[in-house]
Amino acid sequence: MLLKDTRDYQILFLGLFLVLGIGTRDWTLHPEFIAVAIAFCLSTQWLLSSVKGFWSFDNNQEQQPSINLRSALITSLGLSLLLRTDHWITMALAAVSAIASKFFLKIGDKHFFNPANFGIISALTLTSNAWVSPGQWGEEWWYCLVFVGTGGLILRKIGRWDTTVAFLGSYSLLEAIRNLWLGWTWDVYWHRLMSGSLLLFALFMVTDPRSIPNAKIGRVVWAVCIACLTFILRNYFFLSTAVFWSLFALAPLTIFLDYLWSSPRFSWLGEGRRQEAEGRRQEDDEGDEGEGGDKGEIPTHNSTRAKCAASANSTQHSSLSTLITEV
Amino acid sequence: MKQFRLIISLFVLSIGVLCFAPTAWAFCGFYVAKADSKLYNQASQVVIARDGDRTVLTMANDFKGEVKDFAMVVPVPTVIQKEQVRVAQPKIIERLDAFSAPRLVEYFDSDPCAPQYRDRLYEAVPAPAARISGATRGDNANLGVTIEAKFNVGEYEILILSAKESGGLETWLNRNGYKIPRGAKQLLQPYIRSRMKFFVAKVNLDKFEQSGYEFLRPLQISYQSPKFMLPIRLGMMNANTAQDLIVYILSPQGQAEITNYRTVKVPSDTNIPVFVKNEFSDFYKSMFQTAYLKEDRKVAFLEYAWDMSSCDPCSAEPLNQEELKQAGVFWLDNDTNDNFLAPNIRRPFPRSSVFITRLHIRYSRDKFPEDPMFQTTSSRESFQGRYILQHPFTGELNCQASREYKRSLPKRFEQEAQTLAKLTNWNIQDIRKKMKLSLGNLNYSWWENFLAWLGL
Repeated sequence: MLLKDTRDYQILFLGLFLVLGIGTRDWTLHPEFIAVAIAFCLSTQWLLSSVKGFWSFDNNQEQQPSINLRSALITSLGLSLLLRTDHWITMALAAVSAIASKFFLKIGDKHFFNPANFGIISALTLTSNAWVSPGQWGEEWWYCLVFVGTGGLILRKIGRWDTTVAFLGSYSLLEAIRNLWLGWTWDVYWHRLMSGSLLLFALFMVTDPRSIPNAKIGRVVWAVCIACLTFILRNYFFLSTAVFWSLFALAPLTIFLDYLWSSPRFSWLGEGRRQEAEGRRQEDDEGDEGEGGDKGEIPTHNSTRAKCAASANSTQHSSLSTLITEV
Repeated sequence: MKQFRLIISLFVLSIGVLCFAPTAWAFCGFYVAKADSKLYNQASQVVIARDGDRTVLTMANDFKGEVKDFAMVVPVPTVIQKEQVRVAQPKIIERLDAFSAPRLVEYFDSDPCAPQYRDRLYEAVPAPAARISGATRGDNANLGVTIEAKFNVGEYEILILSAKESGGLETWLNRNGYKIPRGAKQLLQPYIRSRMKFFVAKVNLDKFEQSGYEFLRPLQISYQSPKFMLPIRLGMMNANTAQDLIVYILSPQGQAEITNYRTVKVPSDTNIPVFVKNEFSDFYKSMFQTAYLKEDRKVAFLEYAWDMSSCDPCSAEPLNQEELKQAGVFWLDNDTNDNFLAPNIRRPFPRSSVFITRLHIRYSRDKFPEDPMFQTTSSRESFQGRYILQHPFTGELNCQASREYKRSLPKRFEQEAQTLAKLTNWNIQDIRKKMKLSLGNLNYSWWENFLAWLGL
């Protein structure tokens, strides 16, 4: 059913941003590239899910391959919003690598790269005609309100406010210290923080619950690390795409953080764990597979993940903790 | 397959001929006038040629006062030595300005009694222009100021300073005869702490007189740094009003943009009434101001983005190799072969050519708190500020089609008037009045109006 899934909201909001961006922000966005992004994301998702399903079937696991098109659509919208190119092949490459990263770059059943971010970095490094325009949203307050409002709604549903707060909090603190030390007036500081692109990243990309650490403490540590790296890359290496590079560079840290905070520290949440497992089965019925491929794995060899997931606000949102935000 | 290719190439060729054959049907419009930087009282002009992190920065000098009073202090990312500074020809900036200025083009309606011809022209009009597809140390120590380099270049005496604290630098500059405005201390500090150096220039009067130039020539400095920004804050120290800055960015890649402010295209490709031909400067100034206010005074405007090997229509001849080098383009020597490629062919590896981006920034202290940072992208999309005059046919009209044509004209004129009013914020009644004056020969007799009313 429509809007039953938090990802539907996300698709709606990202679509809205695209319309807003093209309509009011004077972008040189080619509609055909949006189509290319969507087509390649969905078809890669379908293809790899089918191959995976077939392989699983071969292994006598009686499962029907179900395809998770929602998250692929989110990835494609994210790419359309952020990645600029003047060649469709670049967009296709970004889309394919974004989705493929979910299937191939994973530990256990968890992919650790944010797909859209992975796609962007692939396009930036592998081709010569991709770029990101950090200034494209400007720094208007009503855009900030729209981003905070819509982002807030989704974050409340998936319970990932902590990540955004940790990221923006630590980043703005670092910027404040720098501003104070350099002796710029405070309007310079606010100008840097009001950037629509920064907020969009903080609210929609760094909070993808599938690829970021499961434990709350892990997420906070992780977000603070990303903020520090972003700060360094932006101010000392003058990279305009600092946020994307730091998320990319620190994504593998997720595995370590999940390992670190899956320890007995959270084992007291036995009840939460059970609920989590139940929630997961429910989700399988809805056909949310594809990127995780985590059916039937929880009780057997993936206790680490179950513990981590259980700690991630799962007591409050048993079915929500399994939802996927990708951008 | 071969046949198919042949058809495609013929098609491409025919488009090429239609678009670029000189004047035949004025398909792409005749160039009429340009709105160059002379329009503005105080427009600073800067040329940045950048490839990777190597930069050649040319600063035009629009200093209006006594030459002996001239001094400039520009924060630069690295220490600059004598070999890295030269004096550029003033003409080069004028050339870039003329080449990239917003332009007015005109078309003439053909005889409506020759319909096929007319149809083709009509289709042509709204189409945008064809896509076509760079020391000494002394008692300054207690002020924390170090003279990193000191040399003369042309008529300029140049010092490269580094400082430890802004108070020291301010004192040093004052002691050494540089008039520094009040409040400079606070503004110098962030640059000092970001480890920037200060490029300080004043005029050697003897050399200036010897040189025989009437005006100060532009200074050109080259350096290597990942910092791609322009320090505009110092320039805003005494200014209460908005200032115009025109930045020409030359890149082997493609379009440049600002990363910490929005880059917005100026309104372009619109049909405006023909009387604007005589007041294009006023039109452009009003239009720019209207667009600037509409964007809440906090964006940079893109006025031109084009591969420098061509233009369409040309407001000035493209710069030749020598001129490009003068403008700071340093990567041309490596790839002279590629310049023989036809200008209208999109190149798979565009590193061979020079792509110009003209950004017009009208900045004021309240809306541009931070220095603009730039980036070059690989976008090769062409853009120009281009305004179109469509002259109605003025010859004799006695066919059936002419009635329809005449009937269509008032609607078209009204549309042009409204577009102009919207773009410039001029009074629509005044515009309508002016249009009537310039369209005297299109008054219809009463029976023509009557027939038009009847739909005949």
